[in-house]
Amino acid sequence: MTTVYVHGIGMTKFGSFEDKSLKDLLIEASIGALKDANLPKIDAVFVGNFMGGTLSNQEILGAIVANDLGLGYIPTAKLEGACASGGIALRQGVLSILSGEYENVLVVGAEKMKHASTATVTQFINTAMDQSTTEKEAGLTFPGFFGTVANRYMYETGAQKEHLAKVALKNRENAMNNPLAQFQKPTSIEEIVNARMVTDPLGLFDCSPITDGAAAVVLSSKPSNIKVRASSQSSGPTLMQDAIDLLSLPAVKISGERAYEKAGLGPEDIDVAEIHDCFSMTEILSIEELGFFPKLEGWKAVEAGETKVGGRIPVNTSGGLLSKGHPIGATGISQIYQLVRQLRGNAPNQLAKQPKIALAQNLGGTGAYSVVHILERV
Amino acid sequence: MMKVYECCGIESVTKKVYCSSCGKEITNEIDVPEEGTVYSYTVIQVPPAQFAHLAPYTVALIQLKNSKAKVTARILESVAIGDQVKLDSIVDGAYVFKKVGSSKVLHNS
Ligand SMILES: [Zn+2]
Repeated sequence: MTTVYVHGIGMTKFGSFEDKSLKDLLIEASIGALKDANLPKIDAVFVGNFMGGTLSNQEILGAIVANDLGLGYIPTAKLEGACASGGIALRQGVLSILSGEYENVLVVGAEKMKHASTATVTQFINTAMDQSTTEKEAGLTFPGFFGTVANRYMYETGAQKEHLAKVALKNRENAMNNPLAQFQKPTSIEEIVNARMVTDPLGLFDCSPITDGAAAVVLSSKPSNIKVRASSQSSGPTLMQDAIDLLSLPAVKISGERAYEKAGLGPEDIDVAEIHDCFSMTEILSIEELGFFPKLEGWKAVEAGETKVGGRIPVNTSGGLLSKGHPIGATGISQIYQLVRQLRGNAPNQLAKQPKIALAQNLGGTGAYSVVHILERV
Repeated sequence: MMKVYECCGIESVTKKVYCSSCGKEITNEIDVPEEGTVYSYTVIQVPPAQFAHLAPYTVALIQLKNSKAKVTARILESVAIGDQVKLDSIVDGAYVFKKVGSSKVLHNS
């Protein structure tokens, strides 16, 4: 049976790059991954991107990447699944190799957002929710969904804003050691809790930023020392009013369960994880849904430092979306970039005991998509 | 009255074609009162361009009375979880609810 391996990784710095186009970012990250993989002959390209059409007035990203890199007239495609676009592109790359169609595949994700105003970006990010509903007309925003979740979570568990702040602080402390991260300035619980409110109870530090950046991976059926043990995906509700349990993200739970089943592993086997922390609240919900901690107790684990570097299950050693930054289409692939470096033993915030099994979880919309990949050092 | 669609015990204000539990077409429509309690809420301070003129505004998820279904609506006042609310108007396709009773009053009575 075919197995998929990671051969190369590449990533631009995440931040604000006025002088770089969406294409520049895609090409820069791709070159990094291709060189890291020793320039194999690429058979297909999969691109993850969400807002190229709206914010950069640019589509056909797959063909552009193949053309400008000079890869020849190979098949390409762009995948869209809101903030899970990168993870979905990665999964399509994995599946295309498993099908036997291709040997070497380039997967690259990028987003160019910083040139637009916050109101414009907020408006376009809202396309990740069903736009033809009374819920959208009520004015619910994407952050507003997680604000509503957070108020209920705090009401049911007794968690405080300080617990949300501890997620943001942990990820900032991790980003301070990651030269590719968008935010490296030290902060404090006081600063986080007192920051400008975005959507009650979520403040500025509880929300992932607007970011430019790209990340890329070269996959192959030829062996390397990083094996893709599992690739899985699930959908979930596309509306808040359709959630059967507001404090659950079924897409995360189901994609996690499917990945564990495929890998023949459980949450207790995972040494390090990158979890989609689009909001501090989301990281807490997802560490519960992935089985690292019991339901409604994720906040206690954060309080106890169990998700810190050196904790029981270090989460977002890269700085996460909150502080590494969140160039939407790149995010799912940049998670793989950090995890491969952890497995290779040369990551920012490298774990003292070099990890063997790593898990990445990438969310799209308000839980509309979730993708999970499990990697193994072999 | 507000329409709720039901099959296999799952109730939703969204009209879906098939029931994800039994696979059959959903045909059971129930009328429920346009009132309920605040299940949770948020106050949106950073609005999308379309709603900039309203900010800051409250959006709540409302547990409808006599139903398992919930509905998302804008609320005229600031609210807390457990407050009783009632439909005030429908504005540009949005449900706008108003507060008619406080959760705290309920506890005291
Ligand atoms: Zn049914």
